[in-house]
Amino acid sequence: MGLSISAIAMLIIGATVIYGGLAYFLYRALKSMKK
Amino acid sequence: MYIHLIKETKGALSLVEHWRTRFAFVMAAIGSAVGLGNVWRFPYVCYANGGGAFLIPFFIAIFTAGIPLLILELSVGHWAREAPPKAFKKIGEKWEWVGWWTTLIPFLVATYYVVVMAWCFSYMIYSINLRWGANADIFFLNNFLGISGSPEIIGGIRLPVLFGLIAIWICIFLILYKGVGRIGKIVLITVPLPWILLVLLTIRGITLPGALEGVSYYLTPDFSKLTDVNVWLAAYAQVFFSLSLAQGIMITYASYLKKKSDISNNAFIIAFADTGTSFLAGFTVFSVVGYLAFQNGVGIDSLGISGPHLAFITYPTAISLFPVAAVIFGISFYVALLTFGIDSAFSMTEPMIASAESKWKISKIKTTAIICSIGFFASLIFTTESGLYWLTIVDHFVANFGLVMIGLIECLILGWMFRISKLREHANERSDIKIGKWWDILIKYVAPLILILLLIFAIINNIISPPFGYPVWVVVVGGVAPILIIFILSFVFMKIKKGEKVD
Repeated sequence: MGLSISAIAMLIIGATVIYGGLAYFLYRALKSMKK
Repeated sequence: MYIHLIKETKGALSLVEHWRTRFAFVMAAIGSAVGLGNVWRFPYVCYANGGGAFLIPFFIAIFTAGIPLLILELSVGHWAREAPPKAFKKIGEKWEWVGWWTTLIPFLVATYYVVVMAWCFSYMIYSINLRWGANADIFFLNNFLGISGSPEIIGGIRLPVLFGLIAIWICIFLILYKGVGRIGKIVLITVPLPWILLVLLTIRGITLPGALEGVSYYLTPDFSKLTDVNVWLAAYAQVFFSLSLAQGIMITYASYLKKKSDISNNAFIIAFADTGTSFLAGFTVFSVVGYLAFQNGVGIDSLGISGPHLAFITYPTAISLFPVAAVIFGISFYVALLTFGIDSAFSMTEPMIASAESKWKISKIKTTAIICSIGFFASLIFTTESGLYWLTIVDHFVANFGLVMIGLIECLILGWMFRISKLREHANERSDIKIGKWWDILIKYVAPLILILLLIFAIINNIISPPFGYPVWVVVVGGVAPILIIFILSFVFMKIKKGEKVD
């Protein structure tokens, strides 16, 4: 038995929101520091 | 090296510490938020509350309570530019005791948190020859802790725990006595290192047989759980405990920020980094638990997957079964726990040091030595043969009542007794991300309501099903008394004027 489709979906959603969010706010921090 | 700026207050000159860079502050705040709980609490809470579906209330909790409260604490610290007692005194003379309360509670937590780190320290050494052998449970409880029959039988001090404890308190002293400059340097190692180790452990974990079944338990969503109010409360509690809120830490750390420092964006970065660590830790934990269940031919439910049981029984058992490089992964796991924990441990001690230093005319090195010594002696009870019992009782009451009560009082004072929009304007003036009036509503209504619910549910749960089968006096001494003593001490410290620095 591997990962179910619903588990894979939650993995993608979770990872996108968390790490995508972190990357976005880090990008904004870097951008504002360059100004 | 940290920067000392001269601050002039009513003609008197004083030295003010500052973070050298914004990066150092963010790393220190992330280090404080990320701790042992990210590894041994979040994955279990997620699994027990709907698996992947738990992420929905969890994200909502982050945005409606976690980040707003984080912005609130950072704003207070930055606005007041003082440790919690003086910060609250600035809000209103009579509220200084709240600052002391927010300072004393994390210090109490530090006294037993450091003991758990001492266990990690010993286990890091034991990993060299996998000393726990085939029966990690017997080794941990009998050989290592020498656990007594009940909390009433205190027993002697366990030397391996004591040696670890001395080492950890010395580390905390050496990190803190030089001020935030040294903290800024230390976190450059202690924040990324456990992350790297966690990634390596996860890669190793998910390549083991049975690992995917474990991860399936962690992430497969059960959406029916979303109708259960307890799941939502668990999400808010997880966010609240994980972000080092209501512990005076963020207020203290933000007080060291330079005048033009960003607040809101930093809060978002801290919250997302903390959540990212928890999410990753879920894979580390459940892949190995899945492997262990596969090896033993048992269900995951029958294995301990949270708290000390996970770190000192389940995980070592699984490590012993690793086909290759068991020693390396064992050491890596405990080094990761130690480095995750050390930032949190010193961040829980720093508010007390900063507050004492700020109130009385004592040098940083003396204050640090005194506070660390008090912390060490207070920790000794948890190194005895009954230490695990007392640790569990104190932790239960501090987490369920102490921290939630502070969070509630903080929201009520700052939201209702103070012009909250002033703090919002303060944050907006220097932040990249501007926060709107919705933030006022979250702080004034939403966060207090959730914290009141958490408190009510904790009281009901403790009455309906008392968490421990111990005699009443044990629960009173271990759970109620420390919180009451801290409450009284907060007023005593507020009233002590002798030797007080004049602002």
